[in-house]
Formats: sequence, C-alpha cells, structure tokens
Amino acid sequence: MTSSGKGPEMKHGEELTLETLDQDGAIRETLDAMPSDSRRDFLRKSAGIGLLGVLAVPSAAEAATPKGDVAILNYALTLEYLQAAFYTETQRVGAVRGRLARVPTQVGAVERAHVSAIRKVLGSKSVKRPSFNFQGVTEDANKFLKTAVAFEDLAVAAYKSQAARIKSPAVLAAAIAIHSVEARHAAWMRYLVGINPAANAFDEGKPINEVQRIVKSTRFIVSSPRKTAKGKPRFTG
Amino acid sequence: MAAALIGAAVLVVVLADPSSDATRPSPAPAEDVADLPASPEPAFTVAKPVELTVSRAVSHWATVLEDTPVRERPDAAAAVIMRLSTRTPEDTTNIVLILERQEGEDGRLWVHVRLPILPNDRTGWVPRSALGVYGALATHLVVDVNQFTATLFRGGRRIFRAPVGVGQRQWPTPTGKFYIRNKLVSYQSPFYGPLAFGTSARSSVLTDWPAGGFVGIHGTSEPQLLPGRISHGCVRMRNEDILRLGRLMPVGTPLTIQ
Repeated sequence: MTSSGKGPEMKHGEELTLETLDQDGAIRETLDAMPSDSRRDFLRKSAGIGLLGVLAVPSAAEAATPKGDVAILNYALTLEYLQAAFYTETQRVGAVRGRLARVPTQVGAVERAHVSAIRKVLGSKSVKRPSFNFQGVTEDANKFLKTAVAFEDLAVAAYKSQAARIKSPAVLAAAIAIHSVEARHAAWMRYLVGINPAANAFDEGKPINEVQRIVKSTRFIVSSPRKTAKGKPRFTG
Repeated sequence: MAAALIGAAVLVVVLADPSSDATRPSPAPAEDVADLPASPEPAFTVAKPVELTVSRAVSHWATVLEDTPVRERPDAAAAVIMRLSTRTPEDTTNIVLILERQEGEDGRLWVHVRLPILPNDRTGWVPRSALGVYGALATHLVVDVNQFTATLFRGGRRIFRAPVGVGQRQWPTPTGKFYIRNKLVSYQSPFYGPLAFGTSARSSVLTDWPAGGFVGIHGTSEPQLLPGRISHGCVRMRNEDILRLGRLMPVGTPLTIQ
C-alpha cells in the first residue's frame, strides 16, 4: 500500500495546476487566465461526451425550475458526482492515512450531500451518475491531495461562472450556498498542500467548455462496465 | 478662493440643518438597505453530511481495462500466471476481485487480484494501469455444499437464504473463494431458469465444457430436485429465489463456497 501522513512537498506559493495530474500530457492548460464565458448550450455539449441521460417527464417541483437552470444544475451535479466518487473511493481504498485521513472522510460526506440535494431538486431530470476510473490517484496520498486541490478549484470556478446565468433567485441562493462550501474546501486543500489559499483578490470563473475540456482530459469519466448480458448461459449447469 | 469658501460654508450649513431638503432621504427606496426586499429562500437545502463508515465487510472489484499478463509478484519481471482479457466468455466486461495493493520496485502501483482460473483460489498481480473502474460492495454470498444453502450477507447481516442444489459427487461444486463475474438475463433456456450469475469458480472435472467449465448460479426447471447433489457443478435454486437474489446481489460480490 502506498501511504503517507504528509502532504506533497511543495514550495510555499508554488502554483498547483491540473498539469500535476497530467496523464500522458493530456492536460495542457489549467489554472491560467480565464477566457470569456461560453454561450454554448450545455445540454448539447454534455450529451456529446455522454454525461447526460434522457430527460423524463418532470414532476411539479422539477417543472418549476427554469429550463436553463436545470441544465446548470445538471452541470453542477456532474461535477459533484465526480468529487463525491473521488473522495468516497479514496476513503474506501484507505491509502491516505495519518493527518490526511480525515480529508476524504469529511469532504466526501459533504460532496455526497450535495449530490443528494441536487438530485432531489432535479428529480427525473437528473443526469445519470457516470462511471469513474481515477487511475490510481485515490491510492496515493500525494496524488490524492493534488487532485483534490484541482477538483475544488475547478468546482469553485465552475459554480462562479454560472451564477449570473441562473434565472431563478431561489436556485441562485442554493447554488451560492454550495459554492461557498466548495471555496472553503479549496482553501483547505491548498493549505494542506502548502500553497496560498487565497492568492487572488478577485476570483474569476471558468466557462463550461473550459471545465468540460479539463474534466475530459483527465479521462476520469469512463463508460460504464457491461455487467449484464442476454446470451444463453454455458455454465456447467 | 472666496467663492470656494462661501460654497464650503453653505455646504456645512446644509449638512447641519435637519430641516433642509438636501438632508432628506432619497425617494428611491432601493438605495436604503433597510428597504430592500427579503432575500429569496433557497430552492433547496443540503442535508447534514453523513460520513461513511468503512467496514471490513466491504470488498472491491475492478474492471480489466486492457489485456494484461498476471504475474506471481508485483514485478514486471516476475513469472506470468495467465493473461487477463477485457471480456468474459459471456461478452461482459471482465472484472477481478481486489485483494490488496502494493507499490512495486519499479515504482508502479500493483494490485493483487483473485483470478478466474484453475486451480481455483489462484491469485496474482497486475499493474494498476491495466485496471479501470473500481467498485465497492458490502455483499457476500456463501454457498454451503453440505447444508445445501445459499446465504447472502450485506454489511455482515443476512438478507437472503435459499435451499440449493450443488454438484453431484463425480462433478463436485468447487470450494474456495471466488466472485460473481456477470449476470445473464432474457435468454430462452428453462434448464437455467430466468436468470444466471456467472462466477469465477471453475469445475476441475468438466474442463472441456463449453466456455471453460465455469460454475454458474441459476434457476431451474426441476425445482423438485432441490436441495441436494443434483448438478454438474453449478448452484441451482428455485426460480423465485434466483429472481430475488438477482435483485439483491450485485455483480462483483465475493463468493465463498464451503
């Protein structure tokens, strides 16, 4: 088992980016300057990478949420799925020990609560949970922590960039309530790694296409395994 | 200069005089924070987080991402036991049960897995990079070939028990530690009942059986024979029992045959 009670050794003030997670050089740009927000339709884009399921008949509560807000909430839900799966798997694997062991346990519980809450408000419009292959980052304390910083920073930037697009004040109020928690997580993870938790006086968001590109480049989201088939059994009988 | 002084004096008088029009509140209420409308209630709230308790009863499985040699030790130079493929004979995603992890001398992460080969109970090491999705389960199926029972536990608690038929003396159901590899449904074969689970267990006698002689857990068209030693090695149960087990037991569940 790989284990460590210490965080990665990083110089104070060193900027941590998703490039630290680079798999085969796939991630080139990460925490750099943000371009202007994209107006592309999230539903269409997400369907293109297989994140969204078929939308079913909405309940009364679901129907009360504006269409654009549903898309934004599903976007948030996908990121929450990713985070929740990441922390939960890390805790279950048990390779993160010592003073860091509380991190996946505590943050994982919060991310799962976010998933439950968003799924509840979206009801049958919720996107299906994807499958994940974290490629070992949940099995190594250093990789775990670097990924956690990247995920939390990404979630903060993603929520922020959508805030101005949310039509329903009530949905905005809920999203902001989650956004600030993600920001606390981001600061916590940065502190653990040894980099400045609040280096900037003004945080910018990250547009959907940029967030999607980064998530896709990690290759953490994969197709679900086929565990059921319809062929006639050929077992010994 | 004089004009400026006069202007300043007038401004002081105006600010000091409460009756002056200039000191009255702006007619635009939005400029006064006290007059702002109440903040909207959030569309939803988030429940108190519930921390996960990791139980010893939880096991892990992983998909095989690429065809890969399985080695005796976590070392790329160690002897090869077998090759794992990405698909099962039933054309489902091949999975392995994870036993432990270890960093090899080459610095890579290696995973110790249970193997679907003869002799039964074999294990070996594969690089983490050859595996894909991880799954975690709290279920465990125990088949007792002497008591003729199948018992499913979840988190250590019994949630299912049914009488079963097992292999005849000449075709014994293998004993040992295995796992559920896949689930077959919607086929037309009364002999296998409405649902069949594939396992990693293999008959040590019927080695030339189609698809390698894997042991299944399935329904039956002859429930009157249960329980007893009636099969070619498979575990048979009543159709209503296998359907119930199908709802309770996920693929990847560890299987102990004792």
